[in-house]
Amino acid sequence: MNNIHSTAIVSKKAKLGDNIEIAPFVIINDDVEIGDNCFIGPYVTINDGARLGNGVNLYQGASISHIPQHKKYANEPTLCIIGDNSIVHEFASVHRGTESGKTVLGKSVLLMAYAHIAHDCRLGDHVIISNACQLAGYTEVEEWAIVGGCIPIHQFTRIGRHSIIGDGYKVGRDVLPYTLAAGEPLGYYGLNKVGLKRRNFTEEQIQEIKQVLSVIYDPNLNVTQAKEKLVNEYANNPFTNEFIEFINKSKRGIITR
Amino acid sequence: MVNIHPTAIVSPKAVLGENVTVSPYAIIHENTIIGDNSFIGPKTAIYPYTTIGNNAKIYHSASIGHTPQDLKFNNEITSCKIGNNCTIYEYATIHRGTAASGETIIGDDAFLMAYSHIAHDCIIKDRVTIANWTQIAGHVTIENNAVIGGMVKIRQFSRIGKFCMVQGGRSVAKDVPHYILAGEKNLQFGGLNKVGLRRNGFSEEQLNVLRQIYTFLYGSNLNVTQAKEKILLEFPDDPFANEIVDFINQSKVGII
Repeated sequence: MNNIHSTAIVSKKAKLGDNIEIAPFVIINDDVEIGDNCFIGPYVTINDGARLGNGVNLYQGASISHIPQHKKYANEPTLCIIGDNSIVHEFASVHRGTESGKTVLGKSVLLMAYAHIAHDCRLGDHVIISNACQLAGYTEVEEWAIVGGCIPIHQFTRIGRHSIIGDGYKVGRDVLPYTLAAGEPLGYYGLNKVGLKRRNFTEEQIQEIKQVLSVIYDPNLNVTQAKEKLVNEYANNPFTNEFIEFINKSKRGIITR
Repeated sequence: MVNIHPTAIVSPKAVLGENVTVSPYAIIHENTIIGDNSFIGPKTAIYPYTTIGNNAKIYHSASIGHTPQDLKFNNEITSCKIGNNCTIYEYATIHRGTAASGETIIGDDAFLMAYSHIAHDCIIKDRVTIANWTQIAGHVTIENNAVIGGMVKIRQFSRIGKFCMVQGGRSVAKDVPHYILAGEKNLQFGGLNKVGLRRNGFSEEQLNVLRQIYTFLYGSNLNVTQAKEKILLEFPDDPFANEIVDFINQSKVGII
């Protein structure tokens, strides 16, 4: 049983689950699917291509699956997928994919007020994007990463899992998993210790991660040399492969010390 | 007599004062109080447990008293209280408190410009101006008559002193003591907020005392502890000296 306010405009073609509350002045277009137990706040607009999981909360004025800000986009049907229990705060905007692509937000993602997620971005589970962050197209933010307030992120950038970025800095290169990034220009500031402890990483694992990072950020080695050293000397470290793969996939290079 | 547009949705459990105007498509929830002569702009939403004083001007699409962005928040009943004569511009957002303090408080004569954000449990005192896009995290205190420039980010638990001015575009990650201008690259002491203090009727004599106090703090080789001692030694009964030393003593995150 859904509770739809009389002033909301909901397309008959939209597929709605059960126990959904739709607040006043909401607009929901044709090609939209919404799971169970969702709350759609006042003045929210959900455009074609939106696929919402269960328990999603969208607050005042959020704009979901909007046409991307990309000049090559020619109205092809693309998707904007938002995972279970995600929360989108006031006036945040999430655009759908371009070409045949999709924009994906994982489960339990928190987008704070005024955040912008552009076309073809991928956000993993439990990601937090703070107020007024602006993510350009194709940005990838892996699970449990936290992006501080008011941060612009360059297109094609990748933010590794369990990393954290300080408020107000600019992100133009990839941030390695498990790290803390801050400064101008953005640099490596050590491990995201608080985050790793909160998520029950053991002291042993933290030491292993530290060991790999001390090689990658060794001032006497460039990135290629660091990778060689990791393969030759730290092959038994369970985190070595993850870091090497992350660096190899990087399109924009990683942040420096 | 209230003037409510037919498309606006006003809960019968909302309490509206005399001569309130509610514009088209505005939503006013239950358990809200709006004072006399207030104007609620189009598409504005006022959420439960919000109290707004008299003569408020709240413009297009503002969001007042929304639930906080704190993951610890568990739907507890908390409040958002705004004093008299506030002016709140388009798309500004103000969240209500969490269990931590139970309330978000904004004093009288607040002037919040477009897209500004006041998070849960903030205390914004009287006659504070906050310019466009400034984002204020949770538990921040801003004292009387402070002016925060545009696009400023203020970290949680920070405190901004009275009659201060924070320059636009800066990041505030530490407390800003009373009466000063905070600017420069990594938020630093940038002299007294002379223009603001004069406008507010401070005398040249008072400015001189403040200048001397801050010289001990920022213009000498003393560390903060030594500077505090020196300030109290030189100005033992001066209200400014005691006020500024108290400010430093109460700081949770250190001063700039």
